[in-house]
Amino acid sequence: MKRVALYAAALGFMAFAGFPFYWMLITAFKQNRDLYVGAFDTRHVPWIFNDPPTLEHVRLLFGQTDFLRWIANTLIVVVAVVVITVAVAVPAGYSLARLTGRWGERLGMGIFFTYLIPPTLLFIPFARLVALLGLQNSLGALILIYPTITIPFCTWLVMGFLRSVPWDIEEQAMIDGYSRLAVIVKVVPRLIIPGILTVVVFSFTLVLQEFVYALTFISSVDRMTVSLGVPIALVRGDVYHWGALMAAALFTSIPLAIVYNLFIDRFIQGFTLGAVKG
Amino acid sequence: MSLRRRFADREDLLGIAMLAPVLLLVGVPVVLAIVLSFSTATAGSLSFGWAGFANYAAILTDPIFRRALANTVIVTIGSQLLVVVLATAAAQVFRAAFHGKRTARFVLLLPWAVPVSLAAIAWTWIFDSTFSVINWTLKVTGLLHGWLYWLGEPRLALVAITIVQAWRIFPFATVIVLAGLASLPQDVMEAAIVDGAGFWRRLFYVELPLLLPVVAVAVLFGVVYTATDLGVVYILTGGGPANTTHVLPTLAFQRGIQGADLGQGAAIAVFLLPFLIVVAIAMLRLARHTEVGST
Amino acid sequence: MAKRKGMDRRQFVTTTGAAAAAAVLGPTIWVKQQQKTLKIIQWSHFVPAYDAWFDKYAKDWGTAKGVDVTVDHISLADLTTRANAEVAAQQGHDLFQFLSPPGAFEPQVLDMADVVKEAERQHGPLVDLCKRSTYNPVTRKWFGFTDNYVPDPGDYLKSIWTEIGKPDGPATWEDLVTAGPQIKAKHPEIQIPIGIGMAQELDTNMATRAMLWSHDGSIQDANENVVLKSDHALEALNFAKRLYEAGMNAAVLSWNAASNNQALNARQTSYILNSISAYRTAQDNKLPVADDIFFVPALKGPRGTGWASEHVMGIYAIWKFAQSPDVAKQFLLDLVAHYRDAVTASKFYNFPSYPGSVADPGTAQGQKPAAGQRWLEQATANDPFGSNPPTKLKPISTALQWATNIGHPGPANPAESEVFDTFVLPTMFANAATGRMTPAQALDDAHQQVKRIFEKWRAKGLVAGGAGDRA
Repeated sequence: MKRVALYAAALGFMAFAGFPFYWMLITAFKQNRDLYVGAFDTRHVPWIFNDPPTLEHVRLLFGQTDFLRWIANTLIVVVAVVVITVAVAVPAGYSLARLTGRWGERLGMGIFFTYLIPPTLLFIPFARLVALLGLQNSLGALILIYPTITIPFCTWLVMGFLRSVPWDIEEQAMIDGYSRLAVIVKVVPRLIIPGILTVVVFSFTLVLQEFVYALTFISSVDRMTVSLGVPIALVRGDVYHWGALMAAALFTSIPLAIVYNLFIDRFIQGFTLGAVKG
Repeated sequence: MSLRRRFADREDLLGIAMLAPVLLLVGVPVVLAIVLSFSTATAGSLSFGWAGFANYAAILTDPIFRRALANTVIVTIGSQLLVVVLATAAAQVFRAAFHGKRTARFVLLLPWAVPVSLAAIAWTWIFDSTFSVINWTLKVTGLLHGWLYWLGEPRLALVAITIVQAWRIFPFATVIVLAGLASLPQDVMEAAIVDGAGFWRRLFYVELPLLLPVVAVAVLFGVVYTATDLGVVYILTGGGPANTTHVLPTLAFQRGIQGADLGQGAAIAVFLLPFLIVVAIAMLRLARHTEVGST
Repeated sequence: MAKRKGMDRRQFVTTTGAAAAAAVLGPTIWVKQQQKTLKIIQWSHFVPAYDAWFDKYAKDWGTAKGVDVTVDHISLADLTTRANAEVAAQQGHDLFQFLSPPGAFEPQVLDMADVVKEAERQHGPLVDLCKRSTYNPVTRKWFGFTDNYVPDPGDYLKSIWTEIGKPDGPATWEDLVTAGPQIKAKHPEIQIPIGIGMAQELDTNMATRAMLWSHDGSIQDANENVVLKSDHALEALNFAKRLYEAGMNAAVLSWNAASNNQALNARQTSYILNSISAYRTAQDNKLPVADDIFFVPALKGPRGTGWASEHVMGIYAIWKFAQSPDVAKQFLLDLVAHYRDAVTASKFYNFPSYPGSVADPGTAQGQKPAAGQRWLEQATANDPFGSNPPTKLKPISTALQWATNIGHPGPANPAESEVFDTFVLPTMFANAATGRMTPAQALDDAHQQVKRIFEKWRAKGLVAGGAGDRA
């Protein structure tokens, strides 16, 4: 009985999380005349293929837009941002956890709070900065600005995680003659690999979802990221190319979900210790 | 002796050196946003004049702003309540072992993996007054007589927005709760079983209280993600019908960018801060003080 | 001793490296400064074929003139955001295309008087509604150059309207109210008999203006005084309430710009106010409904007034900080000279702002506007893009008689733009039509909002009027 309830519940959750994706899947391969039928008409079933499926939307996406280019751009930006985030957030988190004492705790919270200002206004002062640096219309602008979204949260995360990692190993290292800087560089990263992994996954998600900054700083279609390029190319005026849009959604989210699924166990470990003790 | 002093000096310097980039990158924009809210700046020009509290006065007397504030609170609290229930339940399911667990987990993660804008576009069709597959399904199964104008009726629209927010956040929250469950002290759990507590008793009297810090953190992130989110509401309703479903970020965007009144837009956006800070402090306190048997 | 040598070596390597880099980069830097560039940004045209034509035209033009031309495309909805970013950065494109009058950006753009004069010299006068959309009479500045406008006809399903005795579709707004219940009775499966949106989006902005103007109301008068609160406006709101009850439902409150297209193409509505985009989409997707879609010009109000706004208008602005303003101006003039190709490439979505620009080549100067208009009539009467029957697009050719600008009867000033961009009229009409407020309350509420907006822009010296504002 309990087993049945378990499977039923699992199915229920899968259905709730997944039904929009099922809809995306069939829409990506549906002919348009199969899609543009009002739901008022109950004789037409929207959940199945009433006309034979077609590859035209996928062909549109891959053939007539720069989709693959956008994915490449997104990967470049993500990797760079993740590297920067780890490079800045880890030392900052370490410093807040170990070095700056009491007021470090308050500062840590403060950093987290800056996370709360939406980019929908900040893009204007940032546009000025980007122009001054001559980074207009380049991936460099994103690589510079995205860390402002990822770093506050990740710093806080690392800080919390370090609090739960005992002092002793570092103390031992210092007694053995390492300078503080050497300790940071050599010993600490190994201690918080799960924490770093969490930072990586989180930064990945944040960067992938971002739209407003990408819109502000990138004008050329061949330099866009996926979340920017897809709506721009596939929502033209008042015409939505639903099939291609949904195909893009699927091709972006499925690989990512697979990757997340693989790392979920490490992620869980990293997150709990970091967040709760923070 | 001198060695230790050198370490101490370097510590302070190191501390500052490591913090500086973070503070700069993050502090400057925030200060800028606050400064803008006290100005008469307009988008589309570089002019800048001081407005004192005029912007804040203007928005506080504006019924649309008050409604947006209320909506932000309603949607955030509503969706997070839903998330807590869904996530704790889902975590119970996914800690067990069963066939196809990997696949189920993969599907569960999809809402978290998909770019928000594309998911929101899909949901506009799913809720569309003419094409909604939800309406179709409800009608065909006989559960709906009449029609649901999801995005056309203010209250239904808020429900729709809340559902989408809960939908995209609960996978992440589930993962966090799973983590929490994994870190629960085994001895307490075993003691409860030995004492003869049934499944539900254990859940409500032992597990949930122990999970509170973890759940608090999950809720905190959900609150931040939902309260500062522009994309979902903008794409689903644009703040409509008739400005009834605006939340603070979308109203800030409409007034500040579309309407070109940057000062007012900044004021609306900054208004979120105190609300979120209060919630954040509350959640973090909760997380810290309810740990059992920790140092 | 050893240390010194190391530093010397390092120094040597660095300086040589720097010199080498300079030697290599030097000439390229020099060459770059010589090369002329032109950067254009415009919307992703709903007709992809137009973008394909335009991008190629621009590239070829650049090659012929020795200019490196880049064309970037962006969604309609994102244009304002990007414009703001470029202004904040004081850096961006040379030619920035807006699709509605960019009043708020007037202080940031160059005066286009010289380009307009030259274009008029070559092709004859600019259409009036275009002038009112790009010229500010207060500052006497041409803040934009328009190459095209897009008419907003009514699209209707002939089969349905024939059944209720109107095979040529509706002619007046009142016809819609009469038709609503009739269509509901004959076709209960049609969800929204009359597809006029009541949401915060582009189509509703246009439809509400058409309703207001056809009832002889308006937001401002010709002298930029706020006259929204009037008996005529109240009449329009009462009409909207009746229309909503007769042929619409809550569905239209959640529409976006694509919704009316989609509803028409799914046969879930029988009349929409839209550019020909819905129809062309139906054709492209080979939907059977394409043969059933026909067009009517602007509907007439109770006193015979019939106005519809232009659906969108292509307005090119040149930033003050643009790097190649002269090249940009030349590009615009040449574009207009080739406008027949543009109109055809857009499948008649774009209509020329200078009618003379589509006249047969070799026409005498004075004859050009009339000749251009004749060509438009002929071309739309025989649609080369597979309309069935080919005369289907004819009603659009009369656009100049019933199309007008945002701000009618006055100019499209920054205040009107803000009223447009913050959806004041759609909100007012939605409140009245659904009964959330009484028409009088909704009108008063909107009137006060509009006055506040006008006051703000008057304070900046960009809008006239004030003495004649209604209370």
